[in-house]
Amino acid sequence: MKVARLDGLVRHLILAGFSASIALPLLWVLRVSLTDKLTAYRLPPEIGQIGLHNFVEVLTQYDFTRWFGNSVFVAVLATAISLPAAAMMAYATARYRTGGWPLMMMVLSSQMIPPIVLVLPMFLVFTTLMPVPGIIAITIAHVAINLPFMAWIMISFFDEDTRSLEEAARCDGATRWQAFTRVTIPVAMPGIIAAGLLGFILSWNEFLYALILGNHSSQTLAVGLASLETHAGVNIAPLAAATLLALAPVLILLPFLQKYLIKGLSLGALK
Amino acid sequence: MASIQLNSVSRIYGQGASAVHAVKGIDLQIEDGEFMIFLGPSGCGKSTTLRMIAGLEPVSQGDLLIDGQRVNDVDPAERDLAIVFQNYALYPHMSVRQNMAFGLKLRGTPGPEIESRIAGVAETLGIRPLLDRKPSQLSGGQRQRVALGRALVREPRAFLLDEPLSNLDAKLRSVMRTELIKLHRKLGTTMIHVTHDQVEAMTMGTRICIMRGGEIVQVGKPQDVYRDPADTFVAGFLATPPMNLIPARIEAAGEGLAVIAPGLSVPVPEAYRAAYAPYTGREVILGIRPEDLFETPEGAAPAAIDCSIETVEALGPETILNVKLGQGGSELAARLPAEGDWEVARQIRLFADSLRMHLFDPETTRKIAR
Ligand SMILES: Nc1ncnc2c1ncn2[C@@H]1O[C@H](COP(=O)(O)OP(=O)(O)O)[C@@H](O)[C@H]1O
Ligand SMILES: [Mg+2]
Repeated sequence: MKVARLDGLVRHLILAGFSASIALPLLWVLRVSLTDKLTAYRLPPEIGQIGLHNFVEVLTQYDFTRWFGNSVFVAVLATAISLPAAAMMAYATARYRTGGWPLMMMVLSSQMIPPIVLVLPMFLVFTTLMPVPGIIAITIAHVAINLPFMAWIMISFFDEDTRSLEEAARCDGATRWQAFTRVTIPVAMPGIIAAGLLGFILSWNEFLYALILGNHSSQTLAVGLASLETHAGVNIAPLAAATLLALAPVLILLPFLQKYLIKGLSLGALK
Repeated sequence: MASIQLNSVSRIYGQGASAVHAVKGIDLQIEDGEFMIFLGPSGCGKSTTLRMIAGLEPVSQGDLLIDGQRVNDVDPAERDLAIVFQNYALYPHMSVRQNMAFGLKLRGTPGPEIESRIAGVAETLGIRPLLDRKPSQLSGGQRQRVALGRALVREPRAFLLDEPLSNLDAKLRSVMRTELIKLHRKLGTTMIHVTHDQVEAMTMGTRICIMRGGEIVQVGKPQDVYRDPADTFVAGFLATPPMNLIPARIEAAGEGLAVIAPGLSVPVPEAYRAAYAPYTGREVILGIRPEDLFETPEGAAPAAIDCSIETVEALGPETILNVKLGQGGSELAARLPAEGDWEVARQIRLFADSLRMHLFDPETTRKIAR
């Protein structure tokens, strides 16, 4: 009995340690966003005067709304383009082994190469295609990097179970396309949504391609936030406020991601 | 309503050295309205054959005909057959009602007719209270009924059932067995039922098609196949306990012949003498069904067998004795009436009805014709 309680205590201490290591930086950012630059750097930490002035400053004195708009544009468009394509690629791979293992290796290796290796060739390609690469170039780049990743995730959602459901539908009189759209897609939907959310978040947070392929007017949030670190020093308090605002959509999406991922993974539970 | 014909139908998975010859050129004619059973051990090609008939698997060689029309290249959606899968394959995102309506809607059946057909089938199968549930809210037996219902509402040309009862518990399985037999009698639609359960095979079908290693071993009415198994595989597969198979020799005995094995000598009845004579002096396999062994001489030509009791399985209405022949002979199973006080290790004398013995050629394993 005593050993069990001690055991539980140790477990909770370990978990608390992990939680703190994840939550503390966020709480720190929250604190900084509500104070001013001087208080922010003081040690030991102080709360000081609390106010929303940093948020007001971010929204009024910087291009925050444009960055936000650009990020929404890029992430939504990139996801909207890559998700259906990735779903079909995953389906073809799962059902017909299209491309076989060489294609699978290519998909995987595209995820293993450091992005910096690809970004310069891509920059060269885009500068020959358009006078000034910008938001469209960033979107296309995001489609290119997210599509294989999303397809890879979705392959497991078009498994043996959906195959036999499709066969049932085919015998019920459905064409291949009807079986795909009326049975396979709805059944795999939680997995597809989860892949879409993951792709959206990846695109939302992406920095390197957005920086290199972008110009001043196409700055996304990630690039815009980085620009707050100026040669004249880091505007730490407004940066913290902007970071929180940038995080908000991701924080809102995360619970959905979790829900759909779990739903997607337990699809096969009905036997 | 449909007759189904397979002419030298093969299915080969893969190519080259790794090719799997799952079905090896089988010929089979299934008449309209028949209840055909595909019986065989796991991996013998039953499902593959059924899936070829359904159109889910391409026919590698040979011709598949439905109602006399070659359908090798006809899409499964156009064959108008209904298949019930072992895992039921209910659409998890649809209610029971929607599951049943799916195929009818695709065929453009008018709404009111869909409703009335679903109501009728739901009544027959007793699944009316389940119509608005999702498959995940059903028990295994209920899912099985719904899967059957989804096939029934379609009123297809034929039903293809791939081990639909194998996931049910023993009691439910026997209930569903009876219901399927009744359904077939009522509808008169062609049914093909795949199973590896010999009780299902013996009780349900109008004919059994016994398969092994991608080939058909024997086709016939259950009783005919039982009475007259084509080879040792069929003899050993149908019924539990299966037919006793004993390595033996045929030897001349006085005027006639006898089948001799350690601890056993069965005179060949006169009726079979001519047929078995060419095997004189050769090895054979003697087959005796457990129910053809008796405590007292029975039949026209009884042969005494002395043996000792190894195990006693009292099943209630009957008792299965496992006995060992003398002189290091084989073990046999005997199906005897329940009454009788048998003790393990006791010596007893049983009688075989030699008119009901079977002989098989050990080289080909085929039955020796008589
Ligand atoms: N998709 C496949 N690819 C390769 N071999 C297969 C495939 N499906 C079945 N087989 C093989 O074909 C043979 C027959 O399988 P199946 O028809 O499922 O047997 P049964 O239903 O009688 O148990 C087995 O040896 C099996 O391994
Ligand atoms: Mg099978």
